[in-house]
Amino acid sequence: MLLLAENPLNESPLTFPVLECIHIIGFAFSVGTIALVDLRLLGVTMLRQTAAELLRDTRLWTLGGIVTMILSGLMLFSSDPDMYYRNASFVFKMICLALAIVFNYTIHRSVASTKGPSMKGKVVACLSLALWGSVVFGGIFIAFVNQEF
Amino acid sequence: MILSLAQWAQSTAFFTALRSSWYVYPVVLSLHLVGIAIFGGMVLVTNMRLMGLALRHRSISDLIDQLRVPKRFGLVLIATCGVLLLGAKAEEYYYNAFFRLKLLLFGLIFVHGWIFRGSVYYSASELDHASPRIPGRAKLAASLSILLWVGVACAGRGIGYIDPPLDKIHARKVAGPRAAKLASVKSPRIRKGSGL
Repeated sequence: MLLLAENPLNESPLTFPVLECIHIIGFAFSVGTIALVDLRLLGVTMLRQTAAELLRDTRLWTLGGIVTMILSGLMLFSSDPDMYYRNASFVFKMICLALAIVFNYTIHRSVASTKGPSMKGKVVACLSLALWGSVVFGGIFIAFVNQEF
Repeated sequence: MILSLAQWAQSTAFFTALRSSWYVYPVVLSLHLVGIAIFGGMVLVTNMRLMGLALRHRSISDLIDQLRVPKRFGLVLIATCGVLLLGAKAEEYYYNAFFRLKLLLFGLIFVHGWIFRGSVYYSASELDHASPRIPGRAKLAASLSILLWVGVACAGRGIGYIDPPLDKIHARKVAGPRAAKLASVKSPRIRKGSGL
């Protein structure tokens, strides 16, 4: 019965693009603040602060961004779940997203909280940037791949 | 003049190749978005500090001065990708209302920088002295900046949703308005954008 119900989000042609804009702002907050910590770990910028300080400063904004992007993402997904489910790029994106979030709240957090610059910090920063970058690539390619799963 | 420049640009071998490859275009688009995520984040963080909303333990100058150079690198990356995306579909963009809106917003951002540059963004240490009170002009500059950049991002997303009916436009140019009606090959005015 639930399957027969029409998704109210599909009623207006404006819903999808508006949700996409919210999605973009959400990931500018989350990925942007995570990247700030990563760039500090790499010694690129914000050298007057430690990575641990930056992590503490941005933690709530990162979380807010992640929640925003997941909620808007779920709504975008609900507009055409069948298409997304079969889309190879979407599946790739979801795997990267799961890895990125788990990585962010385990290894990334503990390494960024430890004092002093280290090789480990740089490796972790590169991995974090690569994971979040892959999520973005996976998202864009959804509209460009035809292979179905 | 601008139109013929757009048509010439997208017909060059370079932009034709960019448009024709199935993966180069989305790769450039992805890099554009990765840039927005990282450096858009920096713009948000800086401005929210100016509004007194985020990173209140850090001084204003710590953020503004330290992020200036990375933000410039980011802007170069985003703009380079943007120009590549534009060149590949220059004629379509010429007619695209959201693209025109985006250009207008860029113009406003330029004016914004011109107005607030000296009194806010290059006076960070002065703003630090006023701390914890933040002068009204800094809050105004920051909120306008956020509004304008969010507007740019949204207008950019909107570009993908308008499909200017180029076949009709071409027909009208070649053989007048009647031919344009005859050439009513189905071209949907609104298409679904990328899935993100």
